[in-house]
Order: sequence, then C-alpha cells, then structure tokens
Amino acid sequence: MGELERAVMDRLWSADADRWFTVREVHEALAADRDIAYTTVMTVMDRLAKKALVSQQRDGRAYRYRATASRGELTAELMRETLDEFSVGDRRTALVAFVGEASDEERAALREALAAFGEG
Amino acid sequence: MTPLLLSALAVVLCGPVPWLLSRSPRLRRAPRAAMVLWQAVALAAVLAALGAGLSLVTGSALGAQRSGHWYGVAVLALVLTATVLGRLLLRGHQVGTRIRAARRRHRQLLDLLGAEDAGMLVVASPEPVAYCVPGLPRSRVVVTEGARASLGGEELAAVLAHERAHLRARHDLVLEAFTVLHEAFPRLVSSAAALAEVRLLVEVLADRAARRRTGPRPLVRALVALAEGVAPEAALGVGGETGRSGVGGQLGGGALLARIELIRDPGRHRLLAAAQLATAVALVVLPTVFVAWPWLASLS
Repeated sequence: MGELERAVMDRLWSADADRWFTVREVHEALAADRDIAYTTVMTVMDRLAKKALVSQQRDGRAYRYRATASRGELTAELMRETLDEFSVGDRRTALVAFVGEASDEERAALREALAAFGEG
Repeated sequence: MTPLLLSALAVVLCGPVPWLLSRSPRLRRAPRAAMVLWQAVALAAVLAALGAGLSLVTGSALGAQRSGHWYGVAVLALVLTATVLGRLLLRGHQVGTRIRAARRRHRQLLDLLGAEDAGMLVVASPEPVAYCVPGLPRSRVVVTEGARASLGGEELAAVLAHERAHLRARHDLVLEAFTVLHEAFPRLVSSAAALAEVRLLVEVLADRAARRRTGPRPLVRALVALAEGVAPEAALGVGGETGRSGVGGQLGGGALLARIELIRDPGRHRLLAAAQLATAVALVVLPTVFVAWPWLASLS
C-alpha cells in the first residue's frame, strides 16, 4: 500500500500546487502503467486524507483532492522533525544520528585523529 | 533476612554501582563486554527489587519465624517490589507507544519522500545527516543528499556499516530498555548515567563495525564531514558551552571525544572483557540465588 500512496502523491505533486484532482483523474494516470481498480485508488486517497497528506474538497457529488504540502515543504518538515529528535536530550530515543553536532574541542580532536592516521 | 538483603542489593545496584561504572571510561575499551555488564547490572537491580517481595512469599510459605522486625521488613520489601513492577510496566508501555508512534510517522513520510538507492533511502535535503529507522518488516538507513555530497565512497561505506550495525544488533531495543528505566526512576538512582553510557556504547560498537569494514580513516573522515555540517543555529539555540548536554546531539558533552579515542584504540583487551563478563554473570546469579536459597535449604 505504501507504494500506491507514493504513486498517488507523485501524481499530485507533479501538477500545479492549486490544481484539484478527482479520483477518476488520478486513477486514469495510475492505470496507465499498472492494473489497478478505481475503488483501490479511492481507498488510498481516503487514507492519505486521514493522514492529512492530501486535502479534500467537496465538488457536487464527488470529492476533489490536492496535496496538502508540496514535496519540498514535506521534506523540510521531515528534516525539521529529524533534527529535533537528535537534539532534544534524553526524552527521546526514536532516532539516533550517525554523529550529532560537535563542539570546537571535538572538532579539534577529530582533526588530530586524522593527522595521526597520516593526513591533515 | 532475605528480603532485606535483596532490598539492599537492589539499592546498591541502582545507585553506587552504575555511578562507579559510568566513572570508569577504561571499561569502554571492551565495549561489547561493557554493554553486557550494563545490561546485567540493570537486570540484577530489577531482579533484586522484584525478588525482595517474592522471597517474602517464599519465606512465609516455608513458615519463617515472625518477630516484630519481620513485619517492618515485609512492608519495606513489598513496597519496593510493587513500586518497581508498577513503574516499569507503566513507563515501558508509555515509552514503547511513544517511540513506535514517532517512528511510524517518520517511516510514512520517508517512504513518500525518500529515493531508494543501493540499500539506503536518500532524502532531498541539504542538511548533512545520516541515521537509521528500525522497523518491521524493513528497517531503513537514511542519508540526505547533503550528507552524500560531503562523503566519498569509502566514507559512505563507513556510515552505512555503522548504521547497519545498529540495526543488526537491535541497539534500538537496548536504548529503549534503558530509556524505560530512566523514565521509571529518573531520580535517586543513577539511571541517567546508565542511559548516557549505554548510548555511548552503542555508538562505539557501531564504530567498531564500521572500522572493521573500512578501516579507521574513512570512519573518522565521515565523522568530520558530518559533524562539521550540522546547522549552527541549532547549537547556538541551547547556549554554547554551558548548554553542552543538548549540543552533542543525543550524546552529552564529550561523547564524541570518547568515540574518537576508542576508534584510535586498536587493542582487543581480552582480559578486561573477560573480567566484565564474569562480573555480569555473577551479578545476575546473585539475586537469583537469594530468592531460590530458602527453597533449596528447605529441600535438604
């Protein structure tokens, strides 16, 4: 299912930010390169709406959808959350960075270690 | 006397022992054994605290004499056991739920935004960051474009070896367990020191795996590349040198220094490892024997 959500979001992101899509339009785009039922697309878009990744707008009998945030905005949000996880002391352990921020002393020690291995 | 002994043992294992261990940086030179020792101390402390109440039950079932002291000791042991059990269950549930929710949300976004490439997920962000997200059925190693741009092939291999070592050894579970201990008993016991030390040890172990894979030089170069790059305003936000606990990422001040020193230490330290492992076994056996002893004695 994650792969389908991604395909739907890619379709929405590839259009103008203020363009609203019907499920039928998204289904047509996805059906071009895979065998997929209309109702499946509808379910996926409903779930994306529940996760607040897409916005829903009523248009007569049908709903129209568009991405709540652009790909770039969502990426920035993801990285902001990630850096928060790294920097907030002992309350969290969901994510651990390869290396956090380094003090001047630590950077000096790193350079010294490099020098000891025979490079500057 | 067993409940009293076990209570005393629990107190010693909660306070002075972790305090002493965290002030013995030499132990880290055999990091795998040190990790076992820390887990043994935590396990033995919990066993002793739970055993205090349990031995009371065995004691009374075997018809121990009940003097005036007995009731005092009984109340003490039962309170200790009930408190430890209750807090561990409650915090264990809370921490587990919180961590899993954070990771689930993170994975959802990653799977929408990341580009799969040679076993890692690449995120289009200039922040030079690398980390892993444990999860079933599939864990993810995340590298930003910023990080990939600042790393050469060997350095990238070192980073990936480091992160995969975390995932393979399930370091996330060890960290989760010690986070639970710390949140269940944030004061009085040395749980903060234990958590900080275990956090350092998982990094040291992952560094070792990376060093085995690429040698020390690419690993240190990767550390340099990624440590230099993180946005400075985040560091300034918590206030320069005085705010060090927040600045060093998850690890408090000096943890990176310790990592560097250990990356430069090629020794195997077998004797130190053996001593730590023997201590670990003894620590876990001790409370178990205390609890079982009245039963064994009554059989003979």
